[in-house]
Amino acid sequence: MSKPKNDLLQGTLALLVLKTLARGPLHGYGITLHIQMVSKDFLRVEEGSLYPALHRMEQDGWISADWGTTENNRRARYYRLTSTGRKQLAEEEKNWERLTQAVAQVLRFA
Amino acid sequence: MSFIARLKGLLRKEQLDRELDEELRSHLEMRAADNLAVGMSSEAARIDAQKRFGNTTLLKEDTRAVDIIGWLDECARDFRYALRMLQRSPGFTAVAVLTLALGIGANTAIFSVVDAILLRPLPYPEPERLVRVWESSIKHDSPRNVVNPLNFLDWHDHAQSFESMAAISGLMTNLSSQGRPIAVQGMQVTPEFFSTLRVPPLLGRTFVAEDGIPGHERAVILSFDLWQRQYGAEPKIIGAKIDVDSVPYTVIGVMPRDFSYPKFKSEVWTPLPLTRSEEWKGGRFLTVIARLKPGVSLSQAQQDMLRVANFTVQTRPDNNKGWSANVFPMLEDVTRGVRRPLWVLLASVGFLLLIACANVANLLLMRGTGRLRELAVRSALGAPRSRIVRQLFVESLLLTLAGMAAGLVFAQVGLRSLLALIPQNAPLPRSEPIAIDARVLLFTFLASLFTAVVFGLVPALRLSRVDLQNALKQGTLRGGVGGHQTLRRSFVVAEVALALLLSVGAGLMLRSFARLISVDPGFSPEHLLTMHIWTSPARYHDNLKRSQYFDRVLAEIRSAPGVQAAGSTHFLPLTERISGSCFSFADQPAPSPADSPSAQFLIISSGYFQTMGTALIRGRDFDHRDRFNSLPVAIVNHAFVHRYYSVQNALGKQLRVCWDIEKPVEIVGVVADARQAQLQDAPKPTIFLSNSQAPMYFATLVVRATGDPIQIARSTEEAIHRVDPDQAVSDIQTMETVFSDSVSSPRFQAILLLVFAGLAVALAMIGVYGIVSYSISQRTNELGIRIALGARAADVVRLVLCEAFVLAAIALLLGLAGSIALSRVLQSLLFEVTPTDPVTLASVCFLVLAVTALAAVPPARRATRIDPLIALRYE
Repeated sequence: MSKPKNDLLQGTLALLVLKTLARGPLHGYGITLHIQMVSKDFLRVEEGSLYPALHRMEQDGWISADWGTTENNRRARYYRLTSTGRKQLAEEEKNWERLTQAVAQVLRFA
Repeated sequence: MSFIARLKGLLRKEQLDRELDEELRSHLEMRAADNLAVGMSSEAARIDAQKRFGNTTLLKEDTRAVDIIGWLDECARDFRYALRMLQRSPGFTAVAVLTLALGIGANTAIFSVVDAILLRPLPYPEPERLVRVWESSIKHDSPRNVVNPLNFLDWHDHAQSFESMAAISGLMTNLSSQGRPIAVQGMQVTPEFFSTLRVPPLLGRTFVAEDGIPGHERAVILSFDLWQRQYGAEPKIIGAKIDVDSVPYTVIGVMPRDFSYPKFKSEVWTPLPLTRSEEWKGGRFLTVIARLKPGVSLSQAQQDMLRVANFTVQTRPDNNKGWSANVFPMLEDVTRGVRRPLWVLLASVGFLLLIACANVANLLLMRGTGRLRELAVRSALGAPRSRIVRQLFVESLLLTLAGMAAGLVFAQVGLRSLLALIPQNAPLPRSEPIAIDARVLLFTFLASLFTAVVFGLVPALRLSRVDLQNALKQGTLRGGVGGHQTLRRSFVVAEVALALLLSVGAGLMLRSFARLISVDPGFSPEHLLTMHIWTSPARYHDNLKRSQYFDRVLAEIRSAPGVQAAGSTHFLPLTERISGSCFSFADQPAPSPADSPSAQFLIISSGYFQTMGTALIRGRDFDHRDRFNSLPVAIVNHAFVHRYYSVQNALGKQLRVCWDIEKPVEIVGVVADARQAQLQDAPKPTIFLSNSQAPMYFATLVVRATGDPIQIARSTEEAIHRVDPDQAVSDIQTMETVFSDSVSSPRFQAILLLVFAGLAVALAMIGVYGIVSYSISQRTNELGIRIALGARAADVVRLVLCEAFVLAAIALLLGLAGSIALSRVLQSLLFEVTPTDPVTLASVCFLVLAVTALAAVPPARRATRIDPLIALRYE
């Protein structure tokens, strides 16, 4: 189990979680799987960071949570995006683009 | 995250905890199931799932820190942790709590007195508008002189600043109730007295203007206590007739239980009939209270009164030339004599609390240094600085709370013994109870909070600033925090300096008190019994009859067994009472009263000087020759002849006196000086008149016993009742009690300051001991090397003591500077001792050095026993 480990940039986790949830409600484990899968195993979400982040976003009203059942009949807590969260997502996406552009520009010059 | 959300989280903590557990469990199970699906063994699948998760507890903690929270929860944890830490070092905890309890307890006790007497408003509606108005005379050095009745009437009619104004004259009154006479304190007041104070009666009514008119039906108002005690709390008392000084009065009202007038415990109130008649022209004896009109300031009232006083000077210049008027707020006026001593005491306990704080702060710092490793570990595990500061501060807070609880117990005990120091019949300025009530508790709480911040926060901030990571790496934490040594030393220096300051105060008070009680009063109080009698004006209105009555009473007492001598005076010495009046020399033209010299006047019986043990220097005592209608005579004291004649040629001189004697009095004797109003007052020129020639309505009898004076109390009272079975006798006490009560206030101050200084010195001693022990433990290495290189025990002791003495010397300088700076505060409280009294300062300095040595020697001796081998290997 020695895959390269990429610590997510501070604040990026929130963006990834919001983006993931934009597709529909999902539980915590599902979110880690989704991010891992879409990034082709490049990004790994640490549970130790995920749950505090989820609860913080819930407190901030970006997402809401409900208990539901998985396809395999397990009880799990499903998170869904709220309208505030949707706005926040747009905001964060914009920020991210600005950031990557800026970084790219710097790299091109250096 | 909003505070509300956190708070809600906290309230739903249990539920959220369960949900979080379940959520994490479901996550783990899903991961394990997937692992199984890719072919792991079930055990490996579970372990992997667990491993990815990392530390579940930490994760839960972190998640919960967001969720619920928070800091409230963490604080509770800090408290539990602090409690464990304190339990682990019971010695430290006990010393710290005890120290704080002493400081907090002393402050609570003294504050409860200060609050009850100085700070709480007077128990009347809108008390800030109440004032007292006095006559004032620069010539007699009297800014608060009692008031002449005619002047009062002018003030009352012409002053514009006051809503109402009333005059009071206190007196003893005989009530007869079911046959037996009882003597009670009474007040004669003008009708506006109660309406000025704005206190309604419990039953009936208070006085109206008609009650003050002479010849009107006589009205009396009773106190709640008297009504309960003598009249069985019978509501039908209103309208009933009772005998006041053998004259029937109608009871018109009963005052509420908590009604009182400052400094005067009155049980009956009767109207004071004042008229503009010539007979009131002379004397000054009224106390005047008034209520300012709304919006009128004190200085406006003062201006107004100066104007009115000026008017009285113009209308009656003979009596009023040189006199004016002063207005003072009532609260300030009644607490005048005790304000400064009380503030001094409060400041002293304040210093004591600071010393306690410094001591505990030092203890915390020293212990903190020992705990650096623990703090370093916590810091390495990720605790931010704020967490560590909070942790340390919570420990201090816990100590303070414990100190506060114990302090309240101390305060309760202390207050009781403190109140026991105040004599029973001392006229306290306020009669409201002194107790630890809600206001005092609030003060204690705030003082404790202040304490916690002072002694807790400084060490906490200081300790948390140490580079803990570095400290951990070095492995040795000893001597790694040199910077604290300076802080600790400053604390000890401050402690010793404050202790010195308090000791100087206590020393001065003690010396002053010793001087005071060694004053020769001019009489010998041993074997003397005193008691007060008051004759009813109705029964003894006739002057001759009254003078004969007193003579018969004294004769009867003198013949009682165990009695050596007996006499009477109208004012007993050392009870702060004295009459003053004017006189002039009969061989010169009579000046107006305002231009006449004045002297103290005492009306005494024959045998008074002999009974008191006051020496007759020249001439003779009053005797049987001095009857009511015989040639009036006087005796003067040494101070009088010293001022106006010489001892040789005073006899035979004649004086005109402003007293009830028309003819000039002839000086027939000169007596030695004796202290009258109070022990500290130097004897003043005094004229003694004979009670047979100028009989008063009241007298204090002095009886010299051959043995214990209390033994003859019964037989003396019986002797009085043989002359008049209806004569009430009050205030039976020995002259030694009177003497002791008269110095109770300076004794009170001296004892309290001594106790506080003792505590301060003891705390400072602990401080010095602590710092020296600590410093030796830090220097074990160095001292070991010195011993190994041949230093002798004496050298080591000197080395250690030197450090202590440098600290003591700095403290000494600071303390002395402080006491000189504060000397003005104490000046007025001292008797024949200057606040910079060299003997006191020198002895206190010596005491501080001795105490420092005493505290430093035990650790220094321990230092000489350091085994160099062990000391060096120890590192």
